[in-house]
Amino acid sequence: MNPRPRGTTGGGPFARLLEGLRPDLVRFAFWLARDRAVAEDVVQETLIRAWKSRDELKDPAATRPWLLTIVRREHARLYERKRLPTVDVDDITVQGDPALASEGDIGLDDLRRAILKLPDEYREPLVMQVLGGLTTQEIGKELGLTQAAVLTRLFRARNKLREIYGLTPANDVEDAG
Amino acid sequence: MSGTVDCSHARLAIGGDPRNLSAEVEGHVSGCPACRKFRDEMLAMEGRLEAALQLPLHRFRDAKKSHAPRRYALAASLLIAVLLGGGAWLFQPRPALADQVMEHVRHEAGSWALQRRLAPDEIAAVLARAGVHFDSSMPVVYASPCPFRGHVAPHLVLQTAQGPVTVMLLSHEKIAARESFEEQGYQGVLLPAGEGSVALLTRGGGVPETTEAEILSAVRWQ
Repeated sequence: MNPRPRGTTGGGPFARLLEGLRPDLVRFAFWLARDRAVAEDVVQETLIRAWKSRDELKDPAATRPWLLTIVRREHARLYERKRLPTVDVDDITVQGDPALASEGDIGLDDLRRAILKLPDEYREPLVMQVLGGLTTQEIGKELGLTQAAVLTRLFRARNKLREIYGLTPANDVEDAG
Repeated sequence: MSGTVDCSHARLAIGGDPRNLSAEVEGHVSGCPACRKFRDEMLAMEGRLEAALQLPLHRFRDAKKSHAPRRYALAASLLIAVLLGGGAWLFQPRPALADQVMEHVRHEAGSWALQRRLAPDEIAAVLARAGVHFDSSMPVVYASPCPFRGHVAPHLVLQTAQGPVTVMLLSHEKIAARESFEEQGYQGVLLPAGEGSVALLTRGGGVPETTEAEILSAVRWQ
């Protein structure tokens, strides 16, 4: 057996770092997968992969974007591997998933459901930016898109959400790169 | 309008990232009432968007619990359907995996009091009986090749910062999803691990997920 790196087991610094970031990873995975159980599976796989690859992380400050990238890739891998059925958003909406319900803030509930209904190509960069804190450049690198294309997707995502907010959507823009 | 930025460019930039506008776009917005209104609306929506994405995770847990009775109800209705169909003799329910893990560990409760770290060759001898690799640096204080549901399952006890953790390496028990359970002060979890599964059991607090991850990453079926 390999000697254990100091401070990496159980309550070690890296483990504590992962624990601290776990809630955000679950949220991020949920918005990608739109399914709680899948999100939990993705995060579990992410933690395993992160633990195995922890030596690759040179800068602790980059832990969060590094983990979010792993979550995104694990999510994609899970769908490739298991060919999971896509989630019927109407099911989530109709059943009134309590995980999506705010405490009495109906507007927030509506916004959550509207986000769930966004097509993947718009929802994914939006969640990466707003929840993940990634820049448009980082999102572009991760999704294999130009920065202009990322901006267009983000614009369209927010433009669709404007309607939920009772605002008039802006005119659409031309597709970019 | 100002400079080379027109309203269309400004709206695209605002919709793309309303909190990080370039100086050129800011310049256009300050001189264009319509784009300023659009920006103010987007900024107002942005705060709500952030709040919406911050899902209340405690409700995740509550929601998961509330699904359990439905699963049991489904299982019960399936059982009734089988019995009504005259197939009771066909129905030989296998005790739930979690229950059998609990039962097994209760019979070897003394293993948690052990402190001596086993030598690598002692552990390897047990693992070899089941054709399993467990390449962890965590201290193993107990290792036994236990008969379990018709196969040999390495039963290990690890000493962790949170106390002893029982690990059962179940190479013949494939499960679809993580399942946690709790009974008589024990907290356990069944984890899918490729073609098999791993059962973890502890007392006085569950196993941290990072420890789960470390244990799972150490398992390799032959």
